[in-house]
Amino acid sequence: MDINDFGHFSNPSLLILASLAGGEKHGYAMMEDIHTMTGVRLGAGTLYGAITRLEQTGLIEALPMGDRRRPYRLTAQGAAILHQTLSELEKFAGLGLKRLAAA
Amino acid sequence: MIRSLRPWLTHLYPKAWRDRYEAEFSALLEQCLNSPLDVVDILLGAVDAHLLLFSGESLNWRIMNMLNKIRTSVMIVFSAYIGFVIAGFALVGMADDSPMIALTKTNPALMVAWNILQACSAVAFLAVVIGGLPLAITIIRRALTDARQGLGLLLVPVFAFLILVAYFGFIILVGIGQIKIPGFVRVVQPGPFPPGNRLLLAGLMATFVLGAIASTLAVWKLVSRTDTEQETFRAIKRSLTVKIYNFAFWPAVVTTLAMFIMLAATLTWGWLSFSALPQAFAGNFGPWGTSTQAWFIAISLLMTLSTLAAILGLSRARSKV
Repeated sequence: MDINDFGHFSNPSLLILASLAGGEKHGYAMMEDIHTMTGVRLGAGTLYGAITRLEQTGLIEALPMGDRRRPYRLTAQGAAILHQTLSELEKFAGLGLKRLAAA
Repeated sequence: MIRSLRPWLTHLYPKAWRDRYEAEFSALLEQCLNSPLDVVDILLGAVDAHLLLFSGESLNWRIMNMLNKIRTSVMIVFSAYIGFVIAGFALVGMADDSPMIALTKTNPALMVAWNILQACSAVAFLAVVIGGLPLAITIIRRALTDARQGLGLLLVPVFAFLILVAYFGFIILVGIGQIKIPGFVRVVQPGPFPPGNRLLLAGLMATFVLGAIASTLAVWKLVSRTDTEQETFRAIKRSLTVKIYNFAFWPAVVTTLAMFIMLAATLTWGWLSFSALPQAFAGNFGPWGTSTQAWFIAISLLMTLSTLAAILGLSRARSKV
C-alpha cells in the first residue's frame, strides 16, 4: 500500500497520519493540530473524506465516542506507512537540497 | 445563516456513511462551519462519500458498522419484548375472566406450564431492566443535555404513561358511577359483554398499545441520535465505565430465550387447557367479550412474531454481512 493510493486525499491523509503520530485526537483537534503544524486548514468534508479512507484501510482506528466526539489513533500499519512515506520524502528532500546546493 | 445549513449538509451524505459518522461530523460542523468555502468543501465531501460507497474500493460498510448492528439488535429484542408484553397482558386478561384459571389450579400439568410462564416473564423483565438501565440513563442524560433534540422524544413515554394512568382514573370514575357511559354495566353477568364495557376496555387496550408503540418509536429515535458507545456512571466516590450496547447484548439474549420458553409454555398451556376443557375455548372470554379461541390464536401469533423478531435481531448482530 502507498499513501498516494488515496489520490486527491493523499495529502490530507498524510497530514492526518502525522497529526495522530503525536497522539489520539478527534476531528477538530486534528484540524487545529494540522493547522499549527503546517499552516494548512483542512475543511470538514476533506478531513472526513480522508478519515473514512484511512479507517477503511486500517491505518487509523476509531476509539469509543465521548461527548459527541470520536477520537482516532494510529494503528501499527498506519505508523509503518507514515514512516515509509516520510522517509521517502526525507530522501527526496535531501536529494533536492543537494542539487540546489551544487547548482 | 451558514450554520443553519448544518443539518441539510450532513443529510447530503449517503445513509451508510451517516450511520457511522453523522454524530461526530455534526459535532465538528458546530465548530468549523463558518464560510461559503466550508460549505463547498462539505458538498465535495458528500459527492466523494457517494462515489466511495459505490466504488469497488469501498470497504464493507456493514462490517464497519458493527456497533450499529449490536445497537440495532438490542433495540429489536427490547421492542419485540414490548410486543410480547402486550400479548402477555392480553393472555392474563383472557384467562382471568375464563374458567381456565380455576382449571389451571387443579391440573398439575397446566400449573407447571403457567408457573414456567410466570417465572420466565420475571426473568425477561429483570433482563430488560438490567440490560436497559445503563442505556436508559445514557439516553436520558443525552436528551437532557441536548434539549432541542431529545427532550420532546423523552417526554413521549412519560406522556404515554400519564395518559394510561388518567384512563385508569377515568375507568374508576365510571366504575363508581361518577361518569355515565351508555351501555356500561357495573356488575357484569356471564354472557355477552355489555357494549359500554366493551368500549371502555377497547379504549384501555388502545391506549396501552398506542402508548407502547409511540414510546418504543420515540426510544428508537433517541437511541439512533445517541451515538455513544460507553458511559461513565459515578456513585459513592466510584466511577464505572460501561459499554452500553455490549452490556445490553447478553441480557437481550436472556430476554429472547425467556420469550421462546414463554411461547412454548403458552402454546402448551393452551393445548392442555383445550384438551381438558374444550368448551372454555368456545366462550367469549377475550379482552372485551370476544371469542376466546380467536383471541388465543391472536395472542399466540403476536408472541410468535415477537419471538421471531427477537431471534432475527440477535442473529443480525452475529452475522458478518
